[in-house]
Amino acid sequence: MSVPGWLRSASGDVGRWAVDTAGVLLALSAGTFALVLLARGDPAAVLAATRAGRAATPEQIEAVRVELRLDAPAPVRYLRWLADASTGDFGLSLRTNTPIGPEIADRIGVTLGLVAGSAVVALVVGVGVGVTGALLGRGLLRGALRVGALLATSVPAFWLSYLLVLLLALRLSLVPTSGMTGPASWVMPMAVLGLPAAGALSRVVAVTLREALDRPYVLAAQARGSSPLSIVFRDGLPNAAGPILSVAGFTIGTLLVGTVVVEQIFGWPGLGAYFVRAAAARDVPALQASALVLGSGFILANRLADVMQILIDPRSRRDSEVHARAPRRRRDGGGHVAATGHKADARTETT
Amino acid sequence: MTAGHGRRGIPAGLRTALVALPLSLFAIAGLLAPVLAPADPAANDLAASLLPPSADHLLGTDQLGRDQLSRLLHGAQISLAVTAAVLGISMTVGVVTGTIAGYLGGWADRVVSRIIDIAVALPGMLVALAVIGVRGPGVENLVLAMSVWVWAPYARIARARTASLRGSPHLDALRLLGAGPARIVGRHLLPPALAPCLVYASTDVGAIVLGVATLSFLGLGIPPPQAEWGQMLIEGRPYLASAWWLAYPPGIAITAVVFASNLLGERLAAGAERPSILRWVLPHRLLTRAAGRAASRPPATTGAIAPSTMSADDRSVLQVRDLSVTYRHDGAQRRVVADVSYQIKRGQILALVGETGSGKTTAALAPFGLLDPTAVVTGAALLDAGDGARQLVGLPPHERRQINGRRVGVVFQDSLAALNPLRTIGAHVDEAVRNAGRGSRHGATRQVTEELLRLVGLPDPTGIARGFPHQLSGGMRQRVQIAIALAGEPDLLVADEPTSALDVTVQAQLLDLLARLRDELNMAMIIISHDLAVVTRLADTVAVMYAGRIVETGPFATVIGKPDHPYTRGLLDAVPRPGAPPGTRFRTMPGRSGAGPDDTSGCAFASRCPVALPACVQRQPILVALGGAHRSACLRQPGGPSLMPEAAVGRNGD
Repeated sequence: MSVPGWLRSASGDVGRWAVDTAGVLLALSAGTFALVLLARGDPAAVLAATRAGRAATPEQIEAVRVELRLDAPAPVRYLRWLADASTGDFGLSLRTNTPIGPEIADRIGVTLGLVAGSAVVALVVGVGVGVTGALLGRGLLRGALRVGALLATSVPAFWLSYLLVLLLALRLSLVPTSGMTGPASWVMPMAVLGLPAAGALSRVVAVTLREALDRPYVLAAQARGSSPLSIVFRDGLPNAAGPILSVAGFTIGTLLVGTVVVEQIFGWPGLGAYFVRAAAARDVPALQASALVLGSGFILANRLADVMQILIDPRSRRDSEVHARAPRRRRDGGGHVAATGHKADARTETT
Repeated sequence: MTAGHGRRGIPAGLRTALVALPLSLFAIAGLLAPVLAPADPAANDLAASLLPPSADHLLGTDQLGRDQLSRLLHGAQISLAVTAAVLGISMTVGVVTGTIAGYLGGWADRVVSRIIDIAVALPGMLVALAVIGVRGPGVENLVLAMSVWVWAPYARIARARTASLRGSPHLDALRLLGAGPARIVGRHLLPPALAPCLVYASTDVGAIVLGVATLSFLGLGIPPPQAEWGQMLIEGRPYLASAWWLAYPPGIAITAVVFASNLLGERLAAGAERPSILRWVLPHRLLTRAAGRAASRPPATTGAIAPSTMSADDRSVLQVRDLSVTYRHDGAQRRVVADVSYQIKRGQILALVGETGSGKTTAALAPFGLLDPTAVVTGAALLDAGDGARQLVGLPPHERRQINGRRVGVVFQDSLAALNPLRTIGAHVDEAVRNAGRGSRHGATRQVTEELLRLVGLPDPTGIARGFPHQLSGGMRQRVQIAIALAGEPDLLVADEPTSALDVTVQAQLLDLLARLRDELNMAMIIISHDLAVVTRLADTVAVMYAGRIVETGPFATVIGKPDHPYTRGLLDAVPRPGAPPGTRFRTMPGRSGAGPDDTSGCAFASRCPVALPACVQRQPILVALGGAHRSACLRQPGGPSLMPEAAVGRNGD
């Protein structure tokens, strides 16, 4: 076993994080399952009608009820549903009478691609605007950036997409109005999804970076003649990384949720559009399945940011002989990887 | 923009009101929609379909000939109604749940808190969509779905507020008076818990309006023919390209409400905005010009050398004349350092001594631009930088970088705060070495780094270079700071309280190190300290500061042996002496420090001075030469030990 020392010493925090995350995910699954209890109408009747193509007879409904094992008490059904779901079996769609699992597998790639593309937009624009805002004084430009960022977070996605369609697709004919047809068709969905997230991110970057640049180590860096750029990138941003990371995680989570609207608008065959269609058709099993997948993604994105925070901060690693000497890749140098088993006590003051 | 107060003379309250204006308009439009709307929002008139804005239809008509303005106003009404209902339900559920959980404490509180945590962690839009997905669209289901999403933060806020009140003596008193739980919760806990929730609600309006519009846009919120903003956009979708009046008004309405709500939230959440690191970006002149006006009072300290005769004394590494530092605070200018002059020769150590807040650190760091960006420095500071004297005050940032780290090294007071916690010791020293232009390749840089660490007496430089600041002791970190400061082989080292917060043995070692470096490298040093004992073994010259001014300065032996200024005497009396018999009480000075140089027209020390004369309150004393380089700013000059009256001893002694 060659687990690095610092990782081992951080494993306590990481373990607690894992238990916490599992708890939230379990709560999500319970909540998702509970949707069926809130449902109006009888799922068995709906599926029977779908199969029959018209209103089903009581016998047909009863047969479906037995087939779906809807007669068991709710806790039993929950455990059964959870066990099936963990193998990718989400049952049958009430709307189409086809298995939901493969449908979700087909669509998740589209959604993840869209989220990845928008995340790039959000991170690049958000961090860029945020850093600029932090470095500017109280001037017109900073005010404009701040209002712009706030405006971006305030514009409804569906309206922003209309504006872009009017401008880019209809007026300028640069991109297709909808569909997933080629690289150009990615521009608008990525912008609609990514720009509001960039606005939110830039505010956090600006505020936390300004705070990080207000600390004594920045004065010390100035005293040793470091350049503003080096101070921003070596001292400012890394120390602002904690809040930025957690907001970035939250941002990626919201992007995932945002696909619900954006895929619907642009007619993309993703999970978000599937979710909306299931909601509109009151297709409870499909709704549960897509809610569980999207919700888990949202929660994981949020919580991954937390665990990354634990891992990047050397102070959160428990102080131990091992890790004080642990090999660690230097951030600012070229490939200087210290691999030394040599032990010298770095923490004993010579007296 | 809007945060930060009084920039354009608009009071903060009025600004908040301006920000909230779209929200007020939204509320008015929603409440008065039936009165304001010129037509029935549902009245079809196919003959008048898709008319552009005109006198009859101010915002045109849609594909069914319905009046857009009326539909927009009625959209505000339904939006407002749903938002109010959602907030009402959410706040009731949230505040009651949170307050009761916070009041009960114990396991009930833990369970409820956990549920709140999970509910907050869930994606709101998905929750709302899922609830509508199983319940179907419609106004009631929309309100239910949004409430399931919205309630949790209110519960969290209320719980936190109540939990903080639970242990208060006020509640214990109520219980003793026989108040039951219901009364305590209802009368004494709910109202304070509700207050922060109402503030939060004002900023939550935007999220709810946006959520309602989005759900309606997806066809899962307010069903047609009800006019709703999101609904209007989806209905008008096929005609958007030709009928622009269908595309803009609803979108602008939603954006305005959400924007105002977000802005309000930011305003309420933000405290006073911190100044930015302006100095790197803006030319220095802009800053100096701004406050130069206020700071330009005539210098009160007229030393032996007048500013006009000032020249780069070739033995002086740094010569500072009439240095003043001014900060802007609440629109007013306030000097913190006034007309300070000092100089240091090569191989010598100047000690700047004074109590906390006396301006000694500011006076020492000001020449090198190491102050808050809003600080305005005036006066002169000449650095003998090998190739002739350089004026440091007003130097542009890029030229400062030729000075800082090369000619001048600085050791800061709090060594933990002065080192970037995320970077290794080696990375810090490497950077200093590279900044100074030594060691171009990485290997060479690290070699210099290790030499420097060895020079300041750190064992195992290789290992220490790989460690992080928090892994070293305070004394070792201070040595690291010295190594960083020495990286550029500077002519001058400034050390701010180099030994504070260290134990006595380590203090002694560090002072020995500084003395050794002074001798070996023939550097000039400024040591800033509140503790005369610390500098006793090092300093060649002492400058005592009080309230932003130098009150006494001179050769170390003279100032310590024959102090003239009553403040210096007070400082010396506060130092424990090895010779004093056990049980001797130190004399401490009455009163408190923290005054600024311009707070009184007379001597700033007068109120604490045991020998003050009536004139002291009116006249600002100036530094007067007492013989040699010894100068003191006291009206009782020429002074001598005999001047210390017995009265003062009696007052401060037993």
